[in-house]
Amino acid sequence: MKTNLIRRKLSDGFLQFLTLFSSLLAVGVLTALFYYIFANGLSLMNTDLLRNDYWSVSKIVAFDETVNQPGLYPRPQDLDESVAWSEKWGIGFVDYLSHEKKQLVLIETVAADSPLQSAFDTSAGAAQGKPVALSAGLQVEKIDFSQAAGTADFTGMLASATAAEVAQTLDQQAVKLTSIFIKTPGGGIRGSIITTAYLILVSLLIALPIGIASAVYLSEMAKKNRINMLIRTGIETLTGVPSIVYGLMGVSVLFPITALMGAKTTNILLGALTMAIILLPTIIRSTEEALLVVPKGLRDASLSLGASQTQTIFKITLPCAMPGILSGILLSIGRVVGESAALIYTMGTFINDKPGLLKQGTSLAVHIWSVMSGEQPNFELACAISIMILIFVLILNIAVKFLTRRLQKSWH
Amino acid sequence: MEENLRDWIKPGQAIRKQKTDRAVRTLFFLAALISGSCIVLITFFILMKGIQPFLPNYAYGTVSLKDFLFGTLWRQDQGVYGVGFIVINTLISAFGALLLAFPISVLTALFIVKIAPKPIKPFMKTVVELLASIPSVVYGVFAAGVITTLVKTLAAYSGISTAGGSSLLAVILLLAIMIFPTITSLSITAIEAVDRDLELGSLALGATATQTHFKVVLTSAKSGIFAGAILGIGRAFGEATAVAMVAGNKLFGPTFNLFDITRTLTSTMLAGLKETTGLDYDIRFSVGLVLMAVILISNLVLNLIKKKVGNMN
Amino acid sequence: METCFEVKDLNLYYGENQALKHLNLTIGRNRVMALIGPSGCGKSTFLRCLNRMNDLIENCRITGEIHLLEQNIYDQKMNVVQLRTKVGMVFQKPNPFPMSIYDNIAYGPRCQGVKEKKLLNQIVERSLKSAALYEEVKDRLHDSAMALSGGQQQRLCIARAIAMEPEVILMDEPTSALDPIATAKIEELIEQLKKTYTIVIVTHSMQQASRVSDDTAFFLLGEIVETDKTLTIFSKPKDKRTEDYISGRFG
Repeated sequence: MKTNLIRRKLSDGFLQFLTLFSSLLAVGVLTALFYYIFANGLSLMNTDLLRNDYWSVSKIVAFDETVNQPGLYPRPQDLDESVAWSEKWGIGFVDYLSHEKKQLVLIETVAADSPLQSAFDTSAGAAQGKPVALSAGLQVEKIDFSQAAGTADFTGMLASATAAEVAQTLDQQAVKLTSIFIKTPGGGIRGSIITTAYLILVSLLIALPIGIASAVYLSEMAKKNRINMLIRTGIETLTGVPSIVYGLMGVSVLFPITALMGAKTTNILLGALTMAIILLPTIIRSTEEALLVVPKGLRDASLSLGASQTQTIFKITLPCAMPGILSGILLSIGRVVGESAALIYTMGTFINDKPGLLKQGTSLAVHIWSVMSGEQPNFELACAISIMILIFVLILNIAVKFLTRRLQKSWH
Repeated sequence: MEENLRDWIKPGQAIRKQKTDRAVRTLFFLAALISGSCIVLITFFILMKGIQPFLPNYAYGTVSLKDFLFGTLWRQDQGVYGVGFIVINTLISAFGALLLAFPISVLTALFIVKIAPKPIKPFMKTVVELLASIPSVVYGVFAAGVITTLVKTLAAYSGISTAGGSSLLAVILLLAIMIFPTITSLSITAIEAVDRDLELGSLALGATATQTHFKVVLTSAKSGIFAGAILGIGRAFGEATAVAMVAGNKLFGPTFNLFDITRTLTSTMLAGLKETTGLDYDIRFSVGLVLMAVILISNLVLNLIKKKVGNMN
Repeated sequence: METCFEVKDLNLYYGENQALKHLNLTIGRNRVMALIGPSGCGKSTFLRCLNRMNDLIENCRITGEIHLLEQNIYDQKMNVVQLRTKVGMVFQKPNPFPMSIYDNIAYGPRCQGVKEKKLLNQIVERSLKSAALYEEVKDRLHDSAMALSGGQQQRLCIARAIAMEPEVILMDEPTSALDPIATAKIEELIEQLKKTYTIVIVTHSMQQASRVSDDTAFFLLGEIVETDKTLTIFSKPKDKRTEDYISGRFG
């Protein structure tokens, strides 16, 4: 009898341990994921990442002959000590280590009266001759200059010079600057952020009215007949379709629509249209759930006051269901931000710094795919974007929870 | 001066309202019809495009349906498209993931609902919700960075070399993590719905709390837990981006070795997206069609099993 | 006595079930008609026939005629929306809209396309006064109606119905969710309102029926067993079943 008791206790303890162990495993995976993403991405997380283009642009600038001579420009008082300042040309440089572990020399600041303010573009093209602002963050690839003896020399990253060396060379040797070869920093995700915003806006613009109208029809108007049952089944089946299949649908069914509007390749509008269909079941379900919670008495009261069904829906039912509809919108935004497979098909994987509705582009998630699927996966950038997506999705989820609680509270 | 509302109501107002009502109802019905018919459109168009390469007068040279369905070689560059081994790979990775995730999910759900102390419950629920809300591409980055390293180390211990960790095992581990929240949250719902009286009955018969949880609660929640598994495996079949990051895309197969690279239907569909016309493009729809068929058939089979299992008691 | 409602051979079916059977009833103008009977006897269903609220229920079929001031409301040509502006309704549970007190009352007129601020102000004030609520809420007309007490909410719902200047007010057990003091106030109000409106009230309480109504109809299993002046019904019922119910032998 006693051994039996002990055996039971042992087996109970073991089983309980198993459940605890499983839960700990889940916590462990989540922690590992967050740790990995944050440890690798945080170093890149700064405003430059959000502001910069992905592709860096090279420019060769020259200067106005009339002012192209050294002067005396005192080092600004508030300049950080790490900045190497050229007194004769009025420009400061800094050293910078890129995520590819490359040593870069960046422009930090240019004095307001420096001759370098007269920089203009010499590269062939539409921008030729246009003034160029030598702003902070530009990479100094190469500075060509003339020495006092008239001989030409150069400094900059191509000469493997550090910021201090560049400033020193300019101060000691240059009497005239022939040209500067600058490169914009690149590696940023500005274009993808804009594309993501486009996607969210356009897909919601299409999916919201259709989704809400469908939900209202199904829960307020539809009689229980064959057609309505079929419609409901159709919408429910939509939830189980893998997103990559939506991508196939996008390029085959929806592409002609965007082609009519002048699109030649896959494009952001096509991605948005596809997303709109992916969002439909989400919006319909959350709207319907919210409509179900609205007390029937309010509809009856409205109708008994001589309001038409349309008036009742727009003035009473939908406003009361607002928290639910809102949480549907938030869930949808989360879905758009996280979606990748369908968008890879419908928008392509070309990272576009100047996205337009009928042009290719990448959302943040597709941007990750794009930098991960190349020969040299860029883990840092992928993790940095992942951090942004994670934080965004987290905020959305918290907001949804809050709204759900409010919806339930307001009627009980 | 007192005015009466009646004098202000314009004649014909009520008739106008009826007309608007009718118009709005039609409009809303049309919206619902659009939403409901999307699935039909999707199926129809993918079917149309997907069967094209097998039709006799296909522009880029007809592909033999038999070779396609039962082929064991996928060489886009040589125009050889055999999807047979890919289907097997897909089944292996999805069911492998289910095998791994299912017990862990159910045990975690049991822990959350029945065993965990009160303050830990909401924490664990949040963990599951968080895991569910992480987008697949982020899982992909995690898999490419962490899971592959794990697999590589594991392989090195056994003296096997891997393709940088990309392997069937990596896919299974990744998918297991990704379907874990789906199965867990459905299991939680199922376990929470179990009648308290059943438990009390078991306890009254002298069973310990733990015995009751494992024998009575889990058995009663069986059908809901199974539904979670079905949903989970659906997600495993359809998962694309994350899987494509660690699958390695083997050219022939099927792959049975855990440390060997593999190729799933979805990773095939994402590989080599350069062409926009021709057989290479169209065949992707055929693969999509096979994917939908695999999901549909496994859903049917699993639902049949679910019914059988559900009827046993 | 002028006739307000004239019900002729009314039948109502839910699918196969007949819920109302061959009802015939005359409701006098500016009088209070109480509908009494045990739960599930069809009195609420009947009440909802008077402003065609049953139209919304699926599988519900109605035969027979109901005349409101000589007009058959189940006629093909009858406009339901217009009918409901003439027949107001107050429900069992107070159901103010989640908006301000003012907007609750202005809701009906606004739905009829009235936008003039002056007229709306007048209507709101007049309706609240008629519902004996004005003094209590005049300083917070723009506060949410949800903050009112249950009794106040129900009077607001009555005011909301009055705002439409209806012919009839239907009341479906309007005091069943209220405490005795709030109930007394509503009953007082009904006494006032019958000067202007015809009132049809469904009630579970014998006392309430005898207190507020002029006429009473006794419902049982979807039929009207007996209808007469309230005094007569309560003192000398003709039917044995009415007597049993009134004396509390069942129900």
